[in-house]
Amino acid sequence: MNPALAEPVPVRGVDDWALLAARARSRRRMREILLYAFMALGALPILIPYLWLVTVAFSGRTGASTFVLWRTLAVLLPALFLWSLLRLTLRPGRVLTAIEIALGVFTVALIALLSGPYLHLDNWRFLWNSNIADTIKGASGMGVKYPSVWTAFGNSLLLAGTQMLIVVSVATLAGYYLSRFDFRGRTGYLKGLLVLQAFPAMTLIIPIFLMLYWIGLLDTLAGVILVVAALELPFAIFVMKGFFDAVPWDIEMSAMTDGASRRQAFRLIVLPQVKGGMLAIAVFAFLRGWEEYVFVTTLLLSKSNWTMSLYLFWMRDDMMGTDYAMVSAMGVFYVLPSVVLYTFMQKYLTQMTLGGIKG
Amino acid sequence: MTLRRSESIRRTVDRLVFLGPATVLLALFFVAPVIVDVAIAFSDMGRNLRVTEFTTENVRHVLTGDRRLVGVMTTTFIYVVSTLAIFNIGYGLVLALATTALPQRTGAFFRAVWLLPRMSPSVVYALLWSWVVAPTDYGLLNQIFTALGLSPIDMKSNAPMLLIVLANGFIGASFGMIIFTSAIRSIPEHLFHAARVDGAGELAIIRHVTLPAIRWQLSFVTLYQALALLVSFEYIWLITDGGPFYDTTVWALYVYKRAFGSGQYAYGAALSLGLVLIGIAVALLLWRFFDMRAMLQKPRIEVA
Amino acid sequence: MAEIELRGVTKRWGAVTAVEPTDLRIDDGEFVAILGPSGCGKSTTLFMLAGIYAPTDGEIRFDGAVVNDVEARDRNVGIVFQSYALYPHMNARDNILFPLRFKPVSREEAGRKVEAIATLVQVHELLARKPSEMSGGQQQRVALARALIKEPQLLLLDEPLSNLDASLRLTMRGEIRRLQRELRVTTILVTHDQIEATTMADRIICMSKGRIEQIGTADVLYHQPDSLFVAGFIGSPPINLLAGIAAGRNLRVGEATLSLERSVDGKATLGVRPEALRLGERGVAGEIDDLEPHGRETIYHLRTPLGPLRALEPGEAARFRIGDTVKVDLGRALLFDEAGRRIADARPALAA
Repeated sequence: MNPALAEPVPVRGVDDWALLAARARSRRRMREILLYAFMALGALPILIPYLWLVTVAFSGRTGASTFVLWRTLAVLLPALFLWSLLRLTLRPGRVLTAIEIALGVFTVALIALLSGPYLHLDNWRFLWNSNIADTIKGASGMGVKYPSVWTAFGNSLLLAGTQMLIVVSVATLAGYYLSRFDFRGRTGYLKGLLVLQAFPAMTLIIPIFLMLYWIGLLDTLAGVILVVAALELPFAIFVMKGFFDAVPWDIEMSAMTDGASRRQAFRLIVLPQVKGGMLAIAVFAFLRGWEEYVFVTTLLLSKSNWTMSLYLFWMRDDMMGTDYAMVSAMGVFYVLPSVVLYTFMQKYLTQMTLGGIKG
Repeated sequence: MTLRRSESIRRTVDRLVFLGPATVLLALFFVAPVIVDVAIAFSDMGRNLRVTEFTTENVRHVLTGDRRLVGVMTTTFIYVVSTLAIFNIGYGLVLALATTALPQRTGAFFRAVWLLPRMSPSVVYALLWSWVVAPTDYGLLNQIFTALGLSPIDMKSNAPMLLIVLANGFIGASFGMIIFTSAIRSIPEHLFHAARVDGAGELAIIRHVTLPAIRWQLSFVTLYQALALLVSFEYIWLITDGGPFYDTTVWALYVYKRAFGSGQYAYGAALSLGLVLIGIAVALLLWRFFDMRAMLQKPRIEVA
Repeated sequence: MAEIELRGVTKRWGAVTAVEPTDLRIDDGEFVAILGPSGCGKSTTLFMLAGIYAPTDGEIRFDGAVVNDVEARDRNVGIVFQSYALYPHMNARDNILFPLRFKPVSREEAGRKVEAIATLVQVHELLARKPSEMSGGQQQRVALARALIKEPQLLLLDEPLSNLDASLRLTMRGEIRRLQRELRVTTILVTHDQIEATTMADRIICMSKGRIEQIGTADVLYHQPDSLFVAGFIGSPPINLLAGIAAGRNLRVGEATLSLERSVDGKATLGVRPEALRLGERGVAGEIDDLEPHGRETIYHLRTPLGPLRALEPGEAARFRIGDTVKVDLGRALLFDEAGRRIADARPALAA
């Protein structure tokens, strides 16, 4: 018998156990409360500005008018607090859901009551009135001619869309080849891609600008499309390669023994299997094109080539002091597709495995 | 034509069709620019976009003559280190730990909130920050301050470094948050069970089980984000424009302003040489990390 | 030390019930095995005792006190996981030391305790190694040391031997038994291997689908299984089970008729263990379809009027060959009713 283990062990009485249990219960509750409070408070600095954007877009007038925001928050925050309290204390079931719905209806009604009267669509007039310079009070009569928002919207769509198509097609082809074929320098190619993926393209903005100038594609959407597409490629190729790697050989082999050529097998059999990957990189590419600012502002010069990012930037620059309500409406208009696409992607991405890490 | 010959022709055609476009685009917009950058750095290109001679004047000026550069480097260093430590790594870790401690859906919700900055177009995000810190009375921050009885502030003038660190940090934290969340989720449950029974409390578990298990991800995020911060200037440009004066001008922004603002393209190219070199070096380093893991591990991007 | 009691303890995950309301009592110092197939809820029960899972319903009592809410770290429980769960970045010594970090123990004393337990469990030479540098058996002993170093009132073992090879399993069975006797700590072992349960534990709790089927010593479970499940689970090779119909004192199984010592009516199942069958001069005529030589015993696959039967005969040489006709007599046989519960005192025997 080992002396170190022969010490008598203190016996715990019922009271000791009860004390431990009580301590554990309060400790657990404290932890929960602190955690929720911390996360909620931390989320506020992010959520409030976005809420500001939306409320001002629908209620602001030239001049400082954020009281709609505060009214809405005054109702929303306590409602959210009550809601989280409900969830923490009551068990899931019909009673809880009923109370939740009631709370939700009440909150919406109250907000509608307090803020409703102040909502208007005046700030959205840039959508149907392309001559906004004239509609702003006190605009310096320089007669600055801004392009219509729809020109910018169209340009952005063209940029993001074309660039997306290029990325998807080029990356799918390259990904397939890298996945299926071995060739001299394949490992080198892959390693190179890895390096490129991590390499910051922003550092090359000067030479890219010069190169486009020499080729003659400066100040053209085509030039920007090519650049942005190229920069998105390393990531996209890796994703597609990953997806192709996951498609087993036998499917192709059996198709080819059935008489299909390699290309046909690729098109009819393998491609449908990687639809998920293609969708993912398409959305990523589109979003990148939609949100691009630095390359767009550097490589595009004339106003008719403006994209949404440039449009919003100049609007902010020129109008922040005078009609920021309209600027906020433009902001909402611009950010909406991003949010929609990201939410759509999020549901889809949760199940997916991607072959790389990208923020 | 023999079978072998036509086969090899077909193979070449295949390679051209499948790999060609990608190779062309990559060579054109990644490889060629590096060469061009080096070439231009040693030229005298100015606003007229013409090269008349090759000279080492610009490079020399960068290395020895530019007094402003010292300040820019210091600013860059402070900016990168602060944002990296406090937000990209620090708060990213905190968010990952906190959201994984919450039930699945609640954690997912908060992670989605913290992804909003990254999801928004940069112009919109900068717009929001401009409002928040607007020095007049309608700036969000000032509205809160005056409501609390404090005097309004002007962050852009008085605390510009803090401003850019915060603005970039909110975006940066989400990257670490995602990577670390995924890493924490893949720690085997039984290790946590064992630690709990062994007597460890929450903090001890983080220290002894969680953190050691994600060491690789921590190094990866540090390196990757350090590089990203070093070359990023978009948000700084949009929010403070490098000002007041040059107070928040980081290296990358300085390059841009010299080239596109002052028209000193050759000088800009010379300035960015350093960035390009660091970029290549870090990318190679990261490749060594990747090489070990990319084949073994399939990292999941779980946005939820 | 620790008398463990479960009263109506239930565990539900959403709509799925992992553990049905369970009542159980384990005495201080007992070595109990929870035996059952995978997914029957035995590990879940173990984790509830450790404080890793909280019961959805019911009470867990240590020495009479309700401990449902007590955190795992306050329960003074040691647990060895199936995967050992050793901290990968720490060496064996630090792994074993880990629980002592959270106790008011001085460094010197902790060091002494580590030495003591390492010697007891025989991992002294491995203390500097990391888990990745150790074999499965070594890792398991380190995990055991880690569980024991805080002198727990309750030792929980989750399938500790399942990842070990046969010879190591044999050694560790003896080791664990020896340790338990020396330290006199209440121990609960979870396993799907009935040999482990029967050779190590004082009492066996047989579980299936979240419910306890029977509690008893190995002997009781073997000779008096309460249900078909227990009868089928204990004993290797498994018991022969044949469907039959009983009418009064007669039992018809296949083509044969058996007599019963008590009156039974309706569908019934006859259970007779392979080792209880007698091959030789008496009984029904059976033909040997196949045989498995196992060294010190032989298993015969027989075709009989009752149905197909497996018989086990000790002895190094097989007495019969494939195709032989032998007489098969029933030794001890069991009878189970339509619901699968054993009918006591039925004592089916071949009608003379």
